[in-house]
Amino acid sequence: MQEQGPVRLLLFCLNAAAWAADAIGEFPNPHHAVDLKDIKVIIDLMKKNSLSEFELEKEGFKIKLKRGGASVVSAGVPVDWPVVPAAPPAVAVPAAPAPAVPVPAPKPTDEELIKSPMIGTFYRAPAPDASAYVEVGAEVNPESVVCIIEAMKVMNEIKAEAPGVIVEVIAENGKPVEFGQPLFKIRPA
Amino acid sequence: MTPRPADSSTTTDLAILRALRAHPQGHVSGAELAQQLGITRAAIWNRIRELRLHGYDISASPQLGYRLESAPDLLLRDDLLAQLGGTRVVGRDIQVFQQTASTNDIVEKLARDGVREGAVVLAESQTRGRGRLGRKWVSPPGRGLWCSVLLRPRLAPSQATRLTILAAVALARAIRDTTGLEPEIKWPNDLLLRGRKVAGILTEMHAEVEQVRHVILGIGVNVNLEATDLPPELRSVATSLKLELGVAVDRAALLVALLHHLDEGYARLGQGHFDELAAEWADRCGTLGRNVCIRTGSREIRGCAESLDDAGALLVRTEHGHLERIIGGEVTLTR
Repeated sequence: MQEQGPVRLLLFCLNAAAWAADAIGEFPNPHHAVDLKDIKVIIDLMKKNSLSEFELEKEGFKIKLKRGGASVVSAGVPVDWPVVPAAPPAVAVPAAPAPAVPVPAPKPTDEELIKSPMIGTFYRAPAPDASAYVEVGAEVNPESVVCIIEAMKVMNEIKAEAPGVIVEVIAENGKPVEFGQPLFKIRPA
Repeated sequence: MTPRPADSSTTTDLAILRALRAHPQGHVSGAELAQQLGITRAAIWNRIRELRLHGYDISASPQLGYRLESAPDLLLRDDLLAQLGGTRVVGRDIQVFQQTASTNDIVEKLARDGVREGAVVLAESQTRGRGRLGRKWVSPPGRGLWCSVLLRPRLAPSQATRLTILAAVALARAIRDTTGLEPEIKWPNDLLLRGRKVAGILTEMHAEVEQVRHVILGIGVNVNLEATDLPPELRSVATSLKLELGVAVDRAALLVALLHHLDEGYARLGQGHFDELAAEWADRCGTLGRNVCIRTGSREIRGCAESLDDAGALLVRTEHGHLERIIGGEVTLTR
C-alpha cells in the first residue's frame, strides 16, 4: 500500500471540491473551508444523478471520482502540484486545509487498513446465511474478496488489493459505511 | 455465520414496486400504500424519489397516486423479486453483483455454507465467466444475463443430467415468451438461433456415491450483445437475442420468465414428471434425428442421435448398428 496515496488524494479532493462548488450551484458553503463533508457532497451528487464518474479539470489540475467498481478513486496529480492552486478568489482555500481532514493518526508500523471505496452497506458474506468471506487470521492475496459493499442495490465485491493477514474486522456487518471508512486492519505480508 | 439485518428500505421498495407492477395501467394511491406498509406518506414519497434516482420513471398525481411509466434496464433485486411474485424454490432469494469472477463461484460458496436451495446470483459482468471444458464465456457488462442457481435435488448423481435438460427447456420457453423467437436446443447444453449459439448452460454437480449434494446451474444468455461485443473468432458461431430480433430485450423480464419456468419445471421433476420435460426437450432439440460426431476424450463416436434416455443421456445409433449412451462430450452435427 502506498504511504502517500490517500493523503495526497484528500488534499487534492479539497481543492477540487472547491472548484466543484463553483461549477455546481447547490454546493454548500462554497466560500469557506472545505472539508471531507464537501467531498461527500460530490459523491452524493454523483449518487443522486446516477453518475458513475466525475471528472473535473481546471488549470492543470484534474480529479476523477468513480463509483460502482472495485477501483473507485483515481486521481491524476500533475507533477508540479502546488498546495494552494491559482484558483478563483471566491474559492480560496484557507492557509492550512490539512488539519480539517481527518487523516488517520500515525498507524502502527506494520498494519494497514482496507478502506471502503464507496458509500454503501457493508456485508461480510455474499448472502444472509452464508459464512463471512474472511475472519481474523485469514490470509488474503490481492485478489481475495474480503467483503461486499451494497450500493444502489447492487453488490460490489471488495478485494484486499494487497497480500496480508486480516488482524481486525473494523466495520460492522449490515451497517452503512462512508467513502474511505476503514473496514479491515491487515498486516501486510 | 453473519446474519444480515432486515433492511427496511429494501422491504419497502419491494412492496412499492410490487404494488406498482400489479397496476401497470392504473395508479397506486400513496395513502393506501402508506397504510398497507404501516409507514407515513412522506416515507413512501422518499422511497419513490430514491427509486427515481435508480432510473424508475414514476409519475405522481395528487388525485390519482403513483404510476410506473417505465423501468430502467437494470437488474435490481427488489424489482426482480417484485416481478417474480412468489415461487416455490427457484428465486426465493436473489443477489445481484456488479462484477464477479463467475456467478457459479459465488453459488459454490453459498452451497458449501449450507444456504438453502433456490438462491439465485446474478452479475452485470463476469471477469472469468466459463463454459464447459473450462472455456471462457464472454460476459460484457449490462448486456447479458449471467446467473447461477443453487439446487439441492433428491436425485442420484447419474440423474443429474436431468437438470441440464430442465434448464434448457426453461430457458427456451423464457426466450420464446419474451421475444417470440424459438431457440433450438443442441445437446446437451446450448441454445441456438439460426444455428448460432445464443445461450449456454453449465451444470456443476457435487455428489456423494448415491446422492447429489448440490447442483449449480450456471446460465449465460447473450441478450443485448452487439456483434462487436463478440470476439471475431466467435462472430460466425455466436449471436445474441438483440442481433436476431433487431431490438433490445428486457433482461429483467427474461430472467423472471426463466426463473418461473425453472421453478415450475423443478417442481414437476420432483413429482416424477421428467418424461414431460424430456418430450418438450426432444421437440426443441435440433440434435435428435441428425447424424452426429461425438468426441469424448480420445474416443470418437459417429452415428445418428436417436433419443434421450430417462436420465437425460443421448442415445446414439452407431454406424455399426448398436446403441451408445452418451453422457458428455463434444457434439458436432455431421451430414
